Amino acid sequence: MDLWDFVAERREQIAFQAFQHVSLVVQSVLLATALGVALGVVCHRRAWARGLAATVSSVGLTLPALAVIAVVYGATGQGVTAAVSAVTLYALLVIWRNAVVGLSGVDGQLLEAARGLGMGATRRLLRVQLPLAWPVILSGVRVSTQMVMGIAAIAAYVTGPGLGGLIFTGLTRLGGAGALESALTGTVLVVLLALVLDLLLVLLGRATTSRGIRA
Amino acid sequence: MPDSTASAGPLDGHRPDGVSGAAIDLVGVTKSYPGQGGAAVDRISLQIPAGEIVMLVGPSGCGKTTTLKMINRLIEPTSGTITIDGRDVLSLDGDELRRQIGYVIQAGGLFPHMSVATNVGIVPGMLRWEKKRIAERTDELLELVGLDPAKYRDRYPGELSGGQQQRVGVARALAADPPVLLMDEPFGAVDPITRQRLQDELLRIQDELRKTIVCVTHDFDEAVKLGDRIVVLGEGARVVQYDTPAQVLAHPADPFVEDFVGSGAALKALTLTRVGELEALQETTTARVGDAVADVVARARAVGDAAAVVLDDRGRPQRWPWLRQLQAEGDVVLDRVEDVLSVDRRATLNAALDAMLGSRYGGVVVTGKNDVYEGVLFLQTAIDAVATTRGGSGDDGPVPVAGNDEDAARALAGEGAS
Amino acid sequence: MSTPVQAQEGRVPGARTQGAPAGRGRGGRLGLRPGRRRLVVQPLAVLAALGLFALWVATGEITGTASALLTPATVVSLTLEHLELTLVAAVVVLLIGIPLGIFLTRPRTRRLAGPVVLVANFGQAAPAIGLVVLLAIWLGAQFSTAVVALVAYGVLPVLAGTITGLQGVDQRLVEAGRGMGMTTGAVLRRVELPLAVPVMLSGVRTALVLLVGTATLAAFINGGGLGELITTGITLDDTLLLASGAALVALLALLVDWAGRVVEEVARPRGL
Repeated sequence: MDLWDFVAERREQIAFQAFQHVSLVVQSVLLATALGVALGVVCHRRAWARGLAATVSSVGLTLPALAVIAVVYGATGQGVTAAVSAVTLYALLVIWRNAVVGLSGVDGQLLEAARGLGMGATRRLLRVQLPLAWPVILSGVRVSTQMVMGIAAIAAYVTGPGLGGLIFTGLTRLGGAGALESALTGTVLVVLLALVLDLLLVLLGRATTSRGIRA
Repeated sequence: MPDSTASAGPLDGHRPDGVSGAAIDLVGVTKSYPGQGGAAVDRISLQIPAGEIVMLVGPSGCGKTTTLKMINRLIEPTSGTITIDGRDVLSLDGDELRRQIGYVIQAGGLFPHMSVATNVGIVPGMLRWEKKRIAERTDELLELVGLDPAKYRDRYPGELSGGQQQRVGVARALAADPPVLLMDEPFGAVDPITRQRLQDELLRIQDELRKTIVCVTHDFDEAVKLGDRIVVLGEGARVVQYDTPAQVLAHPADPFVEDFVGSGAALKALTLTRVGELEALQETTTARVGDAVADVVARARAVGDAAAVVLDDRGRPQRWPWLRQLQAEGDVVLDRVEDVLSVDRRATLNAALDAMLGSRYGGVVVTGKNDVYEGVLFLQTAIDAVATTRGGSGDDGPVPVAGNDEDAARALAGEGAS
Repeated sequence: MSTPVQAQEGRVPGARTQGAPAGRGRGGRLGLRPGRRRLVVQPLAVLAALGLFALWVATGEITGTASALLTPATVVSLTLEHLELTLVAAVVVLLIGIPLGIFLTRPRTRRLAGPVVLVANFGQAAPAIGLVVLLAIWLGAQFSTAVVALVAYGVLPVLAGTITGLQGVDQRLVEAGRGMGMTTGAVLRRVELPLAVPVMLSGVRTALVLLVGTATLAAFINGGGLGELITTGITLDDTLLLASGAALVALLALLVDWAGRVVEEVARPRGL
């Protein structure tokens, strides 16, 4: 079967799966960003909390994706929940770590200067720390987005939504007709959509990073 | 003058007169990079006499570092010839050549993952010296640069101060006793006080070893202090002036050099004169423990001195009290907290003047070997002496060739053949 | 006394100590670095968890497939299979990644490093499961196919670590080496590689952890390994089985990560 025919025949279903995949990733990453920055703000001030963030994130990222998905699925019996949980968890681990690194990397003299200007703690955070830490946080968002695009594909095994379904269809038909087309379509679309998301994040970074600290 | 050796033996400049350096000749040496307008180094000819320190100075980007690196062929010349001790370096294997030339860079360039001893022993190791000989040589060199071998041998560069790292860098470059030492902004990364010390240290080592040292710096004061000769370079390594420091200070070749010398040329010249060269030392009354105070005062009065220098049993000056102070004390004693201002006879006049201005007598005690008292130097006599010795120390030998044209190249090439 | 200069500057504050970050002096080597505690805690925690797991399996009421699969013999053989997949792939990854990284940092070929890493990054965006399935379609579902997929996936961290590590070596040190008459090979061996080792090893550890995780996917294509417990557990809807598989593979990943950290600590050249 021709790859083109394969896609043309199923374009609506494929488009829907692609939408599901991206939607899952974008929503999870947004949630993870909010949580990660909040946790970062809480953790960046004390050495032990920074250590905790670093350790939890590094141990968490060591865990194989399939294991995490399987555990959540086993606990809830819910494929979609398992997918969202696993994707959010991995994104959160990366973004949390970067938020801590970025926030604690802000030059202490600048914070003192801000205090000297009479800025309160909240204002210092919003006006000085977060804008300066933003490039580091955003790079965490980029890395995690790339990573969870692939993890979301694995989650399809427990009937999670998205393009992973095409890949597993290819697997179940191994050796049969359409297996290659199905798996190839799923894989290539994940790669392409990951690149598109990355590009959008780069543009977002340009728009939201102060011109004074842009590299 | 250069031997006409074409054999493949090591470069060696050891000579009976104590000079262990070798002469270096650059003849019409050019370095140009493809795609760049002018040459980085344009047909430079330069004669560097054996056993001297020659400083290459000039603004950044003038090609001084490129010129230096062509001597050990870290950068290959586009054209021209370079000889060391009469031998064409371009005909030698680059790596073999570099093992026979010491190379010192900013901050020492020490390998942070190797101990001090390993760093120093690298070149001897490549030359396949025996382990025991390398170990002995390493200790000897650490001693030479003023680091206690037992204490520093096994340390790592990260555990040393900037100045100590630089000392080890010099020791490493000297390890295989090379006739030539190339230094690229060697003291650029240390604080001013440490830099002064390292410079003094280098001069002391050079007094002993008499290597041929070519040193790049952008610091004109450093060039004046260290150099037997200074090459002032302009764009494209154009030789603007090649002269002794005294001559460059007294007679800058053109406004460019004048600009580079900066203000206060006369003051800078003070660093060229050593206290010991002045012939302006005066005797003064000295006293030792046990001398009768009345006796000392009588001796002092007889020659018109108002104070006396108290020496310890090894002849080292300890105090310089007024006579009435001595009389008040009743005995000649040492145990008074009172630092005597003294300078070594090798100190620059600059340093001596500095000390004099801080002294209540308008003078300073001068010491010689082992800190033994030699005499005193007063402000007025120092100024008189400067006036008479202006113009630099006389014997500069034959003036070496330098330039960027055919004449200079021919003069050098002709001489090499004779 | 103003006599010449004795060498006792001590440690000048702010003096350039190249190569060594602040606070990494002698004190740094004597005291426990923050990361070191983890070297002790991590394996102990993993062993404790394994012990609990074994106890639970031994005392719990296990029925059906789970009881057939969760025997010591099966678990050990699946674990060994998993390790075999990981290690075979790791060896190939090192044999490709390190020489390629060295090649891409040599003066003549340096300019290729950027494009190659870019392409490799592009490839890394491919989902691991897609790669595994596509290769199975092409090469057949078997152990060796799983190894090929793992190698394709694990090369990038090692390659990137090698390139970053070598590029991070202070060029002045390379020139110092050349200036002393070291050959290019000697500079690579005695200066560049030792200085790049910490970064290279961290790339190797990243690759190992990635390989252990990705090796779970081998179960989908008859490649063996602990992933089989998970896939079987999901297929049979056997929570105990899939949780056991997940726990075992997670503990294995943590152990491999720990081993990598130990190697990093031991192989780090003194003085750095």
